[in-house]
Amino acid sequence: MKWVKRGQVFNPADIAGRPQWMHEYAQAPATLVFDDFVRVYFSCRPPRDADGQFVSYSAFVDLDRHNLFRIVNLAREPVLPLGELGTFDEFGTYPMSVIRRGDEVWAYYAGWTRCESVPFNVAIGLGISTDQGVTFRKLGPGPLLEYSPDEPFTMSGPKVRFFNGRYYLFYIAGDAWVLKDGKPEISHKIRMAVSDDGLHWTKQHKTLVPDRWGENESQASPDVFYADGRYHMFFCGWVPRDFRQTRSRKIGYAWSTDLVNWTRDDERVGIDVSSDGFDNEMVAYPHVFALDGRTWMLYLGNQVGRYGFGLAELEGAMA
Amino acid sequence: MKWRKLGKIFDVAQSDFAGEFIGYAQSPQALVCEDRVRFYFSTRPPAENGKFVSVVQYVDMSRDFRTVLGRSHGTVVPLGKLGTFDEHGIFPFSVFRHDGAVWGYSNGWNRRKSVSVDTAIGLAISHDDGQTFTKLGDGPVLGPSLHEPYLVCDPFVRVFDGVFHMWYIYGTGWKAAAPGEAPDRTYVIAHATSADGIEWRRSGRPIITQKHPEECQALPSVIRLGARYHMVFCHRHTFGFRTDPARGYRLGYAWSDDLVHWQRDDARCGLEASTGEWDSDMVCYPHLFACDGKTYLAYNGNHFGRDGFGLAELESEH
Repeated sequence: MKWVKRGQVFNPADIAGRPQWMHEYAQAPATLVFDDFVRVYFSCRPPRDADGQFVSYSAFVDLDRHNLFRIVNLAREPVLPLGELGTFDEFGTYPMSVIRRGDEVWAYYAGWTRCESVPFNVAIGLGISTDQGVTFRKLGPGPLLEYSPDEPFTMSGPKVRFFNGRYYLFYIAGDAWVLKDGKPEISHKIRMAVSDDGLHWTKQHKTLVPDRWGENESQASPDVFYADGRYHMFFCGWVPRDFRQTRSRKIGYAWSTDLVNWTRDDERVGIDVSSDGFDNEMVAYPHVFALDGRTWMLYLGNQVGRYGFGLAELEGAMA
Repeated sequence: MKWRKLGKIFDVAQSDFAGEFIGYAQSPQALVCEDRVRFYFSTRPPAENGKFVSVVQYVDMSRDFRTVLGRSHGTVVPLGKLGTFDEHGIFPFSVFRHDGAVWGYSNGWNRRKSVSVDTAIGLAISHDDGQTFTKLGDGPVLGPSLHEPYLVCDPFVRVFDGVFHMWYIYGTGWKAAAPGEAPDRTYVIAHATSADGIEWRRSGRPIITQKHPEECQALPSVIRLGARYHMVFCHRHTFGFRTDPARGYRLGYAWSDDLVHWQRDDARCGLEASTGEWDSDMVCYPHLFACDGKTYLAYNGNHFGRDGFGLAELESEH
């Protein structure tokens, strides 16, 4: 498989007069295709607070369907509010994944809270939009997908898909908090749940992709795309080892014919860092979508999307 | 209901646990054994960095509750790993015999930043008659959900007619009594059922009417006497409950004939605070159990059970 980079699409810092809550970062892109434009949801951050802490909001940028490098619209407000005191999404709604449900758009999103012994916990909630994805109303104040004995914390990175009449939610669940130089670093793995209605989910209770990069590797952002008779998963990961490794990101790849059993094959991913530019240190958090006969990958560049995301195009077949 | 108070049957400071633990024998929960009654409770080792944790221990008493026959040694159920729901404490711990083993549902808690804690309910099983328990996993069996967003805790589980019933509580709000003060929580009693004790179906609504919107309801305990189910729980005000006895924990009561509809009737509870006694300012963390044909109520008194627990015997259901 071969991805040809077409360039950087969006960097919040390039938008003059942008709101404070969209100060920097454009992470975890996810698309919703309209007649004339492609809405790309992403997550962004205001400057750090007095304690040096970030919160995350989700927003969108609309790209001209016929020229994806032309921005035609930008969210004026976060698409989801942060949660009330004590709730799972009090300090961030990031990332999110959207799917059309008739006239509605449903967003599965990860909500962040802060803990004492570890920096954060994460759970997955649901928001519903009746205005074509401009704003979302939360279905409830708590998470949709619950923790369980085998998924004890940090359930995040939801990606919702509809295949063969059923809904699939690919996500990650915490495996362990690993102490590195006395600091807790998260290791999470790719998981899946299946649903007939998008509300009631049956967990598979299974880690989908084996480790490859190293001990306690952290897997994230499992983006699944169907093409050429196979399901293709592009995901992101890192190894919580030393500072450099913990802060770096890589893109991994696996394929499946049944959505349950996956074969990891990173060699075939077909995209890597550039020699210079916004993605010369890392490519991360891939999202693949088809548009008008072409297949595209949105991906983050350096510092996990601090300077926004770029676009690559598939050349030839995927399988 | 008419109760005869048997007094404070377990005093931490007078016990073998003194020194090893700084006090507290909270939320006593009984497991009737062949020649004894084992009371599980939550206690506190000396605090590290000024922050306490809650751990489960037990004391064995004769079936007339007059003699201590034994106690736990070491860890009964371990606290959770880094970042888990039960990392900083288990309190309370609800035990019962099932299928040749002893099942224990834990209320695990962990510290948060914007609020003091969050909680969830775990399951651990013992194959040595309740001396040690092994957890089903690192995560909870019942935790926050769409409409029960936090503070899912205080499990009390029993099997009636082949169905697992769990009474528990969940949070309905965190708010500060005044700007700048630490937020306090409000919670209510709910109910879930299960075929296997692991996958739970929540009834999705509070089951006990609140006396006012700032009432907190905690520690539901249920027993069947004849055809009727009786629930004793404790309740307090959201604010000021630590210092004002009028806002502190008291017992509440409700009954049901179908395990679905509950009729609250606190006046019938029949167990009040005793002036000048160990339970003068507070009555909390009730636990109903049967032993040798009698019905008992174990509970804590002042200071949230700091000094020990007491017992009362049911004299009349009416």
